[in-house]
Amino acid sequence: MAFLLTRFPKGTAANAGLASCSICGTLSSANEQTCRRCGNQLEFRTKNSVQKTLALVATAIIFYIPANLLPIMTTTLLGNASPATILGGVVIFIEHGSYFIALVIFSASVLIPLAKMAVIIKLCIAVNSSKKLNHRELTSMYRLVEFVGKWSMIDVFVVSILVALVQLSGLMTIQPGIAISAFACVVVLTMVAAHQFDVRLIWDKEGNQ
Amino acid sequence: MNSHLSQSHLIACHECDQLLYFVPSTDARQTAHCPRCDHAIQAGVSNSLDQVVALCITALIVLVIANYFNFLGFDAKGQERSINLLNASYELYLQGYPVLSVLIFTFIVAIPFLYMSCLLLICLPVKLGIRWRPSLWVGRLCSAMLPWAMSEVFLVGVLVALIKMASLATIIFGVSFWAYILFSILFLRVEHIVDSHRLWGWIDDQSHFSV
Ligand SMILES: [Zn+2]
Ligand SMILES: [Zn+2]
Repeated sequence: MAFLLTRFPKGTAANAGLASCSICGTLSSANEQTCRRCGNQLEFRTKNSVQKTLALVATAIIFYIPANLLPIMTTTLLGNASPATILGGVVIFIEHGSYFIALVIFSASVLIPLAKMAVIIKLCIAVNSSKKLNHRELTSMYRLVEFVGKWSMIDVFVVSILVALVQLSGLMTIQPGIAISAFACVVVLTMVAAHQFDVRLIWDKEGNQ
Repeated sequence: MNSHLSQSHLIACHECDQLLYFVPSTDARQTAHCPRCDHAIQAGVSNSLDQVVALCITALIVLVIANYFNFLGFDAKGQERSINLLNASYELYLQGYPVLSVLIFTFIVAIPFLYMSCLLLICLPVKLGIRWRPSLWVGRLCSAMLPWAMSEVFLVGVLVALIKMASLATIIFGVSFWAYILFSILFLRVEHIVDSHRLWGWIDDQSHFSV
């Protein structure tokens, strides 16, 4: 069965004194503390959404530095160990002429995490600014960040598969490097940060303009 | 909004808080979008309950298969090594990365498996008309787990790793590899069908039986 959605003339749930449950979507009136359908704590908007989001992004930025500077894995070929950073891996692909793979790794590991953190900060600033907002554009940016979130884990999975597969003692082995843990932290922290950001705050400003 | 009935048909958009009514559409495959912010709220799917039950059962069987057989094999100059799906996380544990190892196992096996199991626990009794209701945490667990299921991301990671290795060795694809691809496709389909309104609608159906 498919549905269309029609606007209820009164506007937003918050304006009508209704809080929508973040888990099951049930509307409850303002005086109720917990959702009667699923038992979740009710809030009109995520409490301290912007502060929590910024704190998580700041932590992610700290982890982003070792993630890029330290070796992500060490390849030992016939006894010779060569540690490689994320950027080093990209360079190797370029040297081998695999420009497409180099681009994929560079985007997924370097560009996208940076862009993600920049967009989340931009959203937090926009919510607190007094300027007129482009709601649709900001919402699209937020959706992109939410969508991209888990795709940044690609590099962590690449290393985990290489480490599992390439264990030929004497010939060739691959060991994980400390940067992989830092990188996983960046991905998880930015995912939680994006989740903590309450995108309704952007639309709330439409009414105030 | 005074009667319980009208309030249950009313929802608020999760992204812009606009109050909305569900109105049946003539086009069965129409996706319901929020008219204010264009958020996709519900995919138009016929027989969603039947589909989810069938998809979950198949996916769970396929995932068990994916954990049982060889995932990938690797042959470099006569030296062979083959791994199963669990090795992808377990080897990191052996190399001194226990937390990361558990995290990867959670994202690629545990959460996808638990999500499908919880969904089945909700949907199967409704489908069969059994008077039994799982506790509310099953539904809450489903919502909490969904963002952390990463089977499709893992597969892309595997492909990138294989491209890295292709020049060094012969890669052998195991039964588990194909099973996991199938699982991933089934999971994406379930993710497309199930939204919080459908999910909690099914949970409500069970409470009608138990009353
Ligand atoms: Zn609820
Ligand atoms: Zn909306």
